[in-house]
Amino acid sequence: MEKISFFDQIAKNKRNSIFLSIFIIALVVTLVYTIAYLLLPEFAIFFLIFAAVLMVAHAYTSYNYGDKIVLKATGAKPADPIEHVYLINTVEGLSIAAGIPPPKVYVVEDDEINAFACGKDPKHASIAVTTGALKNLNRTELEGVVGHEISHIANYDIRFMTLVAVLVGLVAILSYMLLRSYRVTHKGEKGKAGLLIFAGFLLAIFAPIVSRLVQAMISRRREFSADASSAQLTRYPEGLASALEKILKINRGKMQVSESISHLFISDPNRSPLDELFATHPPLEKRIKVLRAM
Amino acid sequence: MGSKMSPVGWAITLIVVLIIVILALISVYFINRIIVLSNRIDNAWAQIDVQLKKRADLVPNLVETVKGYMKHEQKAIEMVTKARERMMSAGGVEEKIKAGRELTAALKTIFALAENYPNLKANENFKLLQEQLEGIESKIAYARQFYNDSTLSYNNMISTIPGRWFAGTMHRVQRPYFEITEEERAPVRVSF
Repeated sequence: MEKISFFDQIAKNKRNSIFLSIFIIALVVTLVYTIAYLLLPEFAIFFLIFAAVLMVAHAYTSYNYGDKIVLKATGAKPADPIEHVYLINTVEGLSIAAGIPPPKVYVVEDDEINAFACGKDPKHASIAVTTGALKNLNRTELEGVVGHEISHIANYDIRFMTLVAVLVGLVAILSYMLLRSYRVTHKGEKGKAGLLIFAGFLLAIFAPIVSRLVQAMISRRREFSADASSAQLTRYPEGLASALEKILKINRGKMQVSESISHLFISDPNRSPLDELFATHPPLEKRIKVLRAM
Repeated sequence: MGSKMSPVGWAITLIVVLIIVILALISVYFINRIIVLSNRIDNAWAQIDVQLKKRADLVPNLVETVKGYMKHEQKAIEMVTKARERMMSAGGVEEKIKAGRELTAALKTIFALAENYPNLKANENFKLLQEQLEGIESKIAYARQFYNDSTLSYNNMISTIPGRWFAGTMHRVQRPYFEITEEERAPVRVSF
């Protein structure tokens, strides 16, 4: 494998994720337009406004309180200043290296090796690490894992991933609305309108699937990007590579975590035999290979 | 009444105005960017300074804890106390960096010597202090890395085109990197 400098990798990942998020937004706009076209003659516009208000409220809540919900859902507890002094020092050190304020540190009681970051921006961010990670990882490995999470914070991935999750939810709701709206509109229209209705029908069916695929793609790219930034922070890609190797060996993928927040973790907490297309994380073997080629 | 401008005249005026606006926006971007990057270096130094101070604050605790156990290592303890005093009275950046290096070396010696005192090593207070001081040591290293990263992006900015044109008129020059000395790279040797 050719050597890629981590600076190039970061730039490439950024470009790709901008491209992908534009795609999702275009999908949302198209859906809204099609619904509006089908329903505009009636009072349906009010339903649309009502739905929009609900969505904004939903987005606002997940943006501002998402971190607290996630921390509660995973049972994370604040790190003890004496018992976990080592973890706290590592997090603070790497946040200095990344030039961000130190995030709050949490510990999750679980035997699997895992970690995640959440919050809306670097000033309101938290990092949680499992007790399994503290027990099984050595100093450089823990630094690699914490560096990965610090990068998610410093690159605004945590905000971005929340946004993507909300947009994907939006597409799902809009597609459902579009399908329902066929009952309201005049049936059996011919010509141009009929064609649009048919196109809209296809859109309503495929948009949610496509947006899920895009979400998984963005998430996977972000994982590579955070791996690259972690190597940049610790100046030692092998630390994270060897941590991922331990995850591969020790983790069974049986953490009790909801699917909706699994993309926040450094390694998929519930590994399912599901189609690789929808996986939010790239295969660990591939990540290790990329890290070792840096 | 003035004469009406021809369509071509309008087009030319519009293009000229557009070019001026674009040039102004580009200038604002680069001037701000240079200032932001330069401020980041100052901020990076402040981070190092904070950690140096935190460490200096912990030293009296360490001396207090160690004194009872390491009766025969007066010289090493004195070295730490003296290095700390120099650290506290240091004024400029250069002086602080130098004093900081001395304190690092002195602390390394203390922790190396502590290996010979099992009772001290078992002391809970000592263990916590050691972890704190080692934590600060690695934070200083990270802060230094951030300093050098910031300096690199600033120096790149003002030495590549078009940044260098703006840097010239703003009288900005390259900033120095944080050098790591040979003694710091080498492992500690204890000899008394």
